[in-house]
Amino acid sequence: MTTTTFDSLSAGDTIDGPRFAVTRESIRLFCDASLDYNPLHLDDEYMKGSFGKTQFGGIIMHGMNNFGLISRMITDWAYPAGAIHRRLETRWVKPVKPGDLIQPSGMIKAKQSTTKSRWVLIDVVVKNQHGEKVATGEAMVEFPMDLFCQ
Amino acid sequence: MAQAQAFETDFWKDANLRKVWDEIVPGEPRKTIPYTLTKEAIELYCRSVGETHPIYFDEAYAKTTRYGGLIAPPSIHILLMFSCTPADDWMRSPGTVNAGQSWSYNIPARPGDEIRLEARALDKFIKRERLFVVHDNVFFNGKGDVICSGRGWTIRPM
Repeated sequence: MTTTTFDSLSAGDTIDGPRFAVTRESIRLFCDASLDYNPLHLDDEYMKGSFGKTQFGGIIMHGMNNFGLISRMITDWAYPAGAIHRRLETRWVKPVKPGDLIQPSGMIKAKQSTTKSRWVLIDVVVKNQHGEKVATGEAMVEFPMDLFCQ
Repeated sequence: MAQAQAFETDFWKDANLRKVWDEIVPGEPRKTIPYTLTKEAIELYCRSVGETHPIYFDEAYAKTTRYGGLIAPPSIHILLMFSCTPADDWMRSPGTVNAGQSWSYNIPARPGDEIRLEARALDKFIKRERLFVVHDNVFFNGKGDVICSGRGWTIRPM
């Protein structure tokens, strides 16, 4: 396995994140871990209603569960290279429901050196089992000059 | 340091105490409560998203890293957001839909950190008949160092 370095990275390089099977149990576990007990994630009866112009038809996974999976992908990629996860911006574009299988991935968009450090910008996306985008965003990873590989 | 009382998991309780979109004032600080982050809370969060990296679990390993000890994953702010806000905070209003968030990370949170949150609504607007509020948040450790800062876009319940 080759070690990722700032110099070795190129725009278009890809990062594969972990597959994650979404179940009612995984959603409940995320409620307990995040303390976010919004009925959107717990109450099927409530979710039969409408939310303004939106109808979900059943409970949905926390959007921030996507966020946590993307962040996990970024840190698992960055730590061995001595790099630091510095930023993550995400938008939720489609609800995720029990039974879905989701997976984050990333693609290097750009590299930039600043006065005191080096940075990599990564386009991120989470797709479901149908190949549909459920979340999109952008991450920023710092490759410090004093690399401390783990 | 004072701690939050047992966390109320029924978000319907106290729902009538929470501000609706009309009452939320951009710029006005939100009430927050301090929270001591525990190793157990970090481990539970890690389990919920499948985090297995030893830097979160293995003290001996963590001591060999740049951080010199156990840390929490950057995204631990997901837990901290609810840990540091009281039951009458509008973030807990049933039907609050998260539209997206952006976070910047300075230093990691660690087990034992006494976490403090400074938070406010930053903006509110109507788009495609939906009521949006932008919230702005900064988490600090007990030394006053910034752990992370972030914004979120929520669609408020009608």
